[in-house]
Amino acid sequence: MKFIADIFDKKRPDFEKGGKLERFYPLFEAQETFLFVTRDKTSSGSHIRDYMDTKRLMSFVIIALVPCLLFGIYNAGYQHHQAAGTYDSASIVDIIVTGATWVLPIVFVSYAVGGTCEMIFAVVRKHEINEGFLVTGMLYPLTLPPTLDLWKVAVGVCFGVVIGKEVFGGTGMNIFNPALTARAFIFFAYAGDMSGDKPWIIDAPNFLADKTENLVVTATPLGAALAHSANPLAETPIAEAMSANYSAMDMFLGLIPGSIGESSTLLCILGAGLLIATGVGSWRIMLSTFLGCAVTAAIMNLVADSPSSTLAIPVHYHFIIGSFAFGLVYMTTDPVSAAQTNLGKWIYGFFIGVVVVIIRCVNPAYPEGMMLAILLMNAFASLIDYYVVQNNVGRRMSRVATA
Amino acid sequence: MAEHINMALNSIFVENMLLAYFLGMCSFLAVSKKVSTASGLGVAVIFVLTLTCPVNWLVNEYFLKEGALAWTGSEQLAALDLSYLRFLTFIAVIAAMVQVVEMFIEKTSDSLYNALGIFLPLITVNCAILGASLFQIDREYTLVQSVNFGFSSGIGWFLAIVLLAAIRQRLRYSHIPRGLRGLGITMLVTGLMAMAFMAFAGIDLKGN
Repeated sequence: MKFIADIFDKKRPDFEKGGKLERFYPLFEAQETFLFVTRDKTSSGSHIRDYMDTKRLMSFVIIALVPCLLFGIYNAGYQHHQAAGTYDSASIVDIIVTGATWVLPIVFVSYAVGGTCEMIFAVVRKHEINEGFLVTGMLYPLTLPPTLDLWKVAVGVCFGVVIGKEVFGGTGMNIFNPALTARAFIFFAYAGDMSGDKPWIIDAPNFLADKTENLVVTATPLGAALAHSANPLAETPIAEAMSANYSAMDMFLGLIPGSIGESSTLLCILGAGLLIATGVGSWRIMLSTFLGCAVTAAIMNLVADSPSSTLAIPVHYHFIIGSFAFGLVYMTTDPVSAAQTNLGKWIYGFFIGVVVVIIRCVNPAYPEGMMLAILLMNAFASLIDYYVVQNNVGRRMSRVATA
Repeated sequence: MAEHINMALNSIFVENMLLAYFLGMCSFLAVSKKVSTASGLGVAVIFVLTLTCPVNWLVNEYFLKEGALAWTGSEQLAALDLSYLRFLTFIAVIAAMVQVVEMFIEKTSDSLYNALGIFLPLITVNCAILGASLFQIDREYTLVQSVNFGFSSGIGWFLAIVLLAAIRQRLRYSHIPRGLRGLGITMLVTGLMAMAFMAFAGIDLKGN
């Protein structure tokens, strides 16, 4: 590492005030603090020294996301070979290579385009490049289907970074989760590519795969559920229709079609463990979202008039299908867009769980509701905090008055 | 009963006056800097909507719509169709109602009058009010439905403006590019909020 440090030291004068590359100081600073400790030292006054700054916080999220990404690569390959009928003859290397050719370009485009937007803003507005982007740039591709066109990936991440985050002043200032803003934009702009009721259709085989035309991967369990519920002739319980192609174990492990990172509940639970243990993710939000979902799903089951309607999706299925687990662990706990007060976190999380089940069960327009539920509660988070704080102020004032 | 609850939920969340139809934007953007004033205006809108919807419904039912004047007993009047006067009459009714409401509140409750302040007369020109009156005629609501619709549309409007105000209060601490400060960022936030409210778009509460 010594020689890298030397390079930085040698180049530093160019980037500092008065140097010829002064404008690009944010780029220099980002590189340096990413590799080494920051050089800024507090010189006077009392201050708290804590290694848990934003950069470390964000790195933990990245570490927690890596298993989801790796499994997403495997699963993309697995679904591809299943659909092509070549699964039995494919070795694990084949599967991973195929998966990687689907997934890695998406991740790469997300980082390259999003990073460029971020850099332009950092240079023009003279703020630091924050590691927050590393998280957004990773979360966003994990919420996409592997077959999405790369230019749509680029358009989405551009929107998410600029409108979702930079116009508010950058990391820590945004109201809505930038990764979900990006995804929602793509979701509404190119609905046909994104929704779970349409299976992935792989028409142009990628350059490494066999020449197979128009592979059709079966619908996601939630897509199947919606279609089953909409069919007036359907008699069988909805759980049966959902597990026609996949067992509940498959759904839990994640061998089901879906967005890249969302499919495996198991890995999301592991990620949740890491985030809670390191104190990065709020356990209050996770627990309350879980409870909100469980309670609402149980009520929906009680009022379901027919076993084949989406209202009758068994409670435990809600946890293992779709993006519930992924959203719960990585999206709801985003410290910026979530509610900030402790009581607020309980309310915020609980209603995410409630809205998710409402969208899944009652709204025929979308099979999955996690993204919109989180965005909706992002909009409510500031108001929840406001009333929690006001309530606190009022309580203390009354205490003063009585004393 | 279930039908009325559905209708209320529908007009609060699914067909929110502000975030689905973008009606009443001017006061929404102008008076959403603080939660306290925003909720004052919101309450005033609920109040006026709940009153003007049924009144306009009655006006339309007994004066404006085709054959509405049959109750006079005169055949000539019964043949009239005055529905082209709807806009004019509704606006006049709304303005009159707002004045009456203002005088009434001033007489009876000083604290409410002071809390609402200038917002009460401002409501006359709030398009959400006129919009609600016109929607109810288009959708052929009954009188009871019209009261419900007015009230719950008001709640939806209240909810949206209070949400925006809370967000804007939080935005005071953020570092927004100079050109976007004020209205610019508010428009962007409104758009993002509307996108989030798409969560409910498509829920059909009328069908069941």
